[in-house]
Amino acid sequence: MTLWSRFRSWWSVTLRRARMESEMDAEIRFHIEAYAADLMRGGIPRQEAMRRARIEFGGIERVKEEGREARGVSFLDEFFQDLRHGQRVLRKSPGFAIVAVLTLALGIGATTAIFSVVNAVLLRPLAIEDSARVVLLQEQWKGSAGDVSVGNFNDIKKQSSSYAEVSCSNNASFNLETQGIPERVDGEIATFNYFATFGVQPIAGRVFTADEDKPGHAPVVVISERFWRTSLHADSAVIGKPIRVNGLPTTVVGVMPKSFDPLLSNSNLWVPEAFTPAQLADHDDHYLNVMARLKPGVTTAQAQSELAVIAQRLQQEYPLDDADRGLRIQQLASVLLGDQRLSLRMMLAAVGFLLLIACANIANLQLARSRTRQREIALRAALGASPNRIVRQLLTENVVLGLAGGAAGVLLAYWALSWIIVHGPAEMPRLDQSRIDASALAFACGVTLLSSFLFGLAPALRSAATRLNEVFKSTSGIVGGSRDHVRSLLVVGEVALALVLMVGAGLLIRSALLVSHVDPGFDTSNVVVGRVGLPDAGYHDPVVARQTFERMISAIAALPGVESAAVVSRAPLAGGGSSNGLLAEGKPLDLANLVNSQLQIVSPSYLSTARVPLKSGRDFTPQDTREHTFVAIVNETLARAMWPGENPIGKRFACCEAGPKGRMDPVWHEIVGVVADVRAQGLDRQPQPAFYIPLAQMPAAAWDWIGRTMDLVVRTRGSVVPVRELQSTVASVAPAVPIYRLSSMQQKISSTLERSHFDTFLLAIFAATALLLSSVGIYGVLSYMVAQRTRDIGIRIALGASQRQIVWDVLGIGVRLVGIGLAIGLASALAATRLLSSLLYGVRPTDAVTFISVSLILLVVALIAGYLPARRATRVDPIVALRYE
Amino acid sequence: MDKQLDLLQGTLDMLILKAASLGPLHGYGILLRIQQISKDRLEIQQGSLYPALYRLEHQGWITSEWGESENKRKAKFYRLTTAGKRRLQAETENWNSMADVIAGILGTKPEEV
Repeated sequence: MTLWSRFRSWWSVTLRRARMESEMDAEIRFHIEAYAADLMRGGIPRQEAMRRARIEFGGIERVKEEGREARGVSFLDEFFQDLRHGQRVLRKSPGFAIVAVLTLALGIGATTAIFSVVNAVLLRPLAIEDSARVVLLQEQWKGSAGDVSVGNFNDIKKQSSSYAEVSCSNNASFNLETQGIPERVDGEIATFNYFATFGVQPIAGRVFTADEDKPGHAPVVVISERFWRTSLHADSAVIGKPIRVNGLPTTVVGVMPKSFDPLLSNSNLWVPEAFTPAQLADHDDHYLNVMARLKPGVTTAQAQSELAVIAQRLQQEYPLDDADRGLRIQQLASVLLGDQRLSLRMMLAAVGFLLLIACANIANLQLARSRTRQREIALRAALGASPNRIVRQLLTENVVLGLAGGAAGVLLAYWALSWIIVHGPAEMPRLDQSRIDASALAFACGVTLLSSFLFGLAPALRSAATRLNEVFKSTSGIVGGSRDHVRSLLVVGEVALALVLMVGAGLLIRSALLVSHVDPGFDTSNVVVGRVGLPDAGYHDPVVARQTFERMISAIAALPGVESAAVVSRAPLAGGGSSNGLLAEGKPLDLANLVNSQLQIVSPSYLSTARVPLKSGRDFTPQDTREHTFVAIVNETLARAMWPGENPIGKRFACCEAGPKGRMDPVWHEIVGVVADVRAQGLDRQPQPAFYIPLAQMPAAAWDWIGRTMDLVVRTRGSVVPVRELQSTVASVAPAVPIYRLSSMQQKISSTLERSHFDTFLLAIFAATALLLSSVGIYGVLSYMVAQRTRDIGIRIALGASQRQIVWDVLGIGVRLVGIGLAIGLASALAATRLLSSLLYGVRPTDAVTFISVSLILLVVALIAGYLPARRATRVDPIVALRYE
Repeated sequence: MDKQLDLLQGTLDMLILKAASLGPLHGYGILLRIQQISKDRLEIQQGSLYPALYRLEHQGWITSEWGESENKRKAKFYRLTTAGKRRLQAETENWNSMADVIAGILGTKPEEV
């Protein structure tokens, strides 16, 4: 048969069904009448002829049905018939329909919302040309991956042959004056081929040329579409115009598209690296992000083995900087999104569980209903419907239910997603791009259909297997209670899934509680932090930079409501910071003897302003200048690491700069004090070795390491953040210099915890919903069982069973089901929670307290859910129950 | 009238194709023609004709259009398509060789084995 005729037939089936029906009628009528006419010609009276013609023709309806089937029409036809039937059936039992649709909406809504987030954050490709070929190249030192030094970047670029492009950038922020208001804008300093590495073209203008990426060239800048829109009013003639970047007039050469943010760092502008020869020879400062595009046909493994050779060469050539230093590449996308994977997958698993529980619940309801509908189904079977046909009809009924639930679920997902976008962690890249889009809708549809089959198949199959004679023999219209295993199994499954979710949520909640009680190591109340960056132009001289900050400190300390003020190179929880390898005096200069430690450059008032407790020795004083002994204060972790069991006061280490005799000439700092550990990287992170040196003793080069940027730390008398006063004071000391990221310390702490709180909150909601749904499941099963055994219970009451015995009997069944569910759930949770370990602080994934308390909660809720039907059982009137027969 | 024979399973389609190959016919006409050719020796359940017609039409072996019957009534006329002609030929050959084989088997005498 040709495709065309098949199509034509199908066409007539779907679009001309009504016409076909009438044609079939007309054709059969013609046949019968023509035959009758022939009979009449044989002398038979008209009425008798028509009667004989009809009889000989056979069953007209059967012929028509077979005719429809022959044309392939029946399936669709019956499907619509079933849909209409399903609608009618559901409308007849609104209670069931509402509960089922709501349950399903909850499952589908949650799944769809989380899927949309996963889709936006993880699944959608980065806006990069052929992103699988773009890799991030990192150095590896002492087991951790880190940024690359300019010298190493330069050598790798020259010596490698695996890449079409090797580019680098480092994050920076810039003071900009676009409309007379100073603002601080995040951006990157990048090599000219940075854009080519990602294969992205500007939407206007061009990117920098190789020439512009050389020292001494007039400054140029490429800006983001967002910056162009918000700060430059989408000026169409922006290309070629100068804007003031860090005080210097800089020509805008190009605008990158909105989607261009390859490192997910919200960069708004890019300026050329323009490395000097001195920088290119520097193998010591490791601060570059290095991105490369693999040549076509080169695999990651091949590039990696080439890198191993280059790393070896670097180790031999620069033993002082690169001994023990390895190099590795990873796909950029997996590095950038790796952090998000675990928790998003956890959420997806959680909503998947929720959906399964919802389906189990509806399947349970359906099973209960299928019992009471046995007569209806038996009747249909008796009238000639095949088992196949009945299963199909029941499944279609479920599809109706599924579609209603799916529609409600999508609405719920819309609402949930907008909530997640507003309240979700700010650090989750691309979260704001989450949408209920075509793929999310397709996902919801798929989930809807799948769950319709999940919750519909068991009841439908069971109904179809109903034996007619049993139904009609049974006087009560309900066939035996021996096949409740499916329902019990569903409840056991629900309980097990709910327990896994609850254990996960319980662990996260316990971990969050522990974190909130962690001592940050200083007094966080009434402390305000803001960042100030001085531009190179006008503040290049270290003395000018230092004096500017000192003037700011004294001006702010004089403000009303301010108790004291200080600067620190990186305030706790402000992110970033620089580290140094320290060498204790008396140890040979060898990389193995270096202790890696966080460096904090502070004004003398910092430790007292932040109230970091001094454990021994003294605080810095204004007399600690470069003319006097170089001093340092260490935290307890560093003291323990460098001089275990000894008093560190008076000991010396070399750091931060080289003496006049070159690199091997150490500059010693004497330890004058030991302070408590500060959890600078986050409350849930272990304190790292850290040391403080006074602002007045910092090496001139350090101003470049920290980009002339300092965090102002202000202790106020009240809890109000004096935003306006701080802004105007800073601007009065350093005109056109903004203070940014201004917030109280408490806010900074809560924003570092935002992520884990969000995860915890969502998982807790899912777990609570799972608990609710499974208790509804337990309630349903026990209620049904009580209703079914009314007669048995009546007999037992008549024989003298006490109310308490009846209650315990019913509860006993519930407890048995829950017990089995708990056992399975605990075993699965033990296996599953290991995956959470990196999200937990201070709690082991197998924490007994959590496991036990969660099990108890589940058991108590199950008992409450079971108690209601148990009470009902005791109210059975034996007379009524027995008369029922 | 001779004794009527029950139709062998699967042969109705073939007969319909043959009847339609002799010129466009409406359903009742096809029935009459088969009876006429077979000299009323085949018993055909009248109603079973139509599902078979629809099936053949769905498969593209016959095609139909509305026209006027001998007594000026609107009727649906069936006609063989090119594919139907090929099908009829194939079925006829198949049937003939099958009939030969069966007849050969049934006609076998003991001494021939």
